[in-house]
Amino acid sequence: MSPALLLLAGFAVVLLILLAWILLDTRKFTKPEAHLDFTEESDRSHATYLRQVRQAMAVEDFEFLAARGSRELSQRTRKERRRIVLAYLYCLRNDFLKLWRLARVISTMSPKVGVAQEFARLRLGLFFFLRYELIRIKFLFGFAPLPELGSLSEVVSRLGVRLETAMRELGERAALAAKLASTLDGRRLDSR
Amino acid sequence: MSSLPLYVKCLWACSVLAQLFLLIFLFVKGNFRKIPYFTAYVALNICQAGFVLFLYSPWGPESHTTLALAWASESLTLFAQALATFDILGVTLRPYQGIWGLGWRALTVVSGIVVILVTLATRNHWAYAQWFELNRGYHLTFASAVIACLLLVRYYSIPVPTAYKMILGGFCFYSCTEILINTILQAFLHKSFEVYQPIWQASRMIAFIVVQVIWTVALRKPLPVEKAQAASLTDSTYQQLSPEINEQLRQLNEKLLQLWKLEARPQ
Repeated sequence: MSPALLLLAGFAVVLLILLAWILLDTRKFTKPEAHLDFTEESDRSHATYLRQVRQAMAVEDFEFLAARGSRELSQRTRKERRRIVLAYLYCLRNDFLKLWRLARVISTMSPKVGVAQEFARLRLGLFFFLRYELIRIKFLFGFAPLPELGSLSEVVSRLGVRLETAMRELGERAALAAKLASTLDGRRLDSR
Repeated sequence: MSSLPLYVKCLWACSVLAQLFLLIFLFVKGNFRKIPYFTAYVALNICQAGFVLFLYSPWGPESHTTLALAWASESLTLFAQALATFDILGVTLRPYQGIWGLGWRALTVVSGIVVILVTLATRNHWAYAQWFELNRGYHLTFASAVIACLLLVRYYSIPVPTAYKMILGGFCFYSCTEILINTILQAFLHKSFEVYQPIWQASRMIAFIVVQVIWTVALRKPLPVEKAQAASLTDSTYQQLSPEINEQLRQLNEKLLQLWKLEARPQ
């Protein structure tokens, strides 16, 4: 079999795998607007728990425990607290996912979508999840760069606040437009 | 027709029967009104089977006249297939104007790239198997374009009725198997055409029958009525919000990158 034919056959197999992946998707799809409900529940972002998480991984705590208690106790505490940090990182990812989804909903509901913007967002999302996984592995193996985690939470939190404000503005504008339309309709009816 | 093996004739009969069932379902359930191009495609396929049968009687399956006319009729059905797919994608995506616009561009770009790649990959085989090359090139372009659109639909979580998904999936599955059949058989059996042809026909027909069954299952019930949903945001809202979100995401990625670049510090 020549390389060209092998390439073609391989491409067909890849297409079949992709097709199966798309069609066997078990996610429940709803109308895009339904995803906008998250703005109500996002008042308390996971990023706000950063101080507690940072405290949970403070080196001083472990040193104190090792000095006053035992090395075993210090190790056990560290393990438990690392689990908490991992859970926190997972929640941060969820926060990011929610915001990312909201961005897609905005695109879905817009009459015109910019290719460059969408492509850039897709790329950013892919990089984010790749890096997130790498950092998670770092944590799993016992390396915890906590100050930088703080910056990460800050960005997620800031993005959330800005989007919420934007969505609130949108809602207000939509309500105003609806009110204006009904007033105009009323006038039209009056003039008949 | 007489030179075709019995199993190929049986498969042919099954295929036509499956298409007839599908056509009856389309009319009985009233789905032909919602997907007229797909109905036309199924009807055209039945007509093509009759036409090829007619060609085989006087000239046999291996004559040049039969081959040329059969492939010409195939190109018509392939054109109908593209139209039917475009129609279904339109029904699904048109309410989402922005995404439909994006889908259009994705279709064009993906098709263009695949056509170039196929031309480059097959330029040495062109002389002795032009119909196969054309057929495979078409299916490759078609499958890639439809999968690009389906990926877009998945990415934006656009709800697609299962029946439409099954129809599009059936088209894609058939195209992919066609590419595989053409490629594998061409690679291993192109020197012995007498062995090659019945196997090629039988394997294509089996794939096609599978697809017909999938479509019949999909269309056993009337298709859902889709309400046209106008885009509810203004263009300026997107222009305003989208770059802002992207900027924030970019910052977040930069932070993550810094985090990754840090020296690992054991605790």
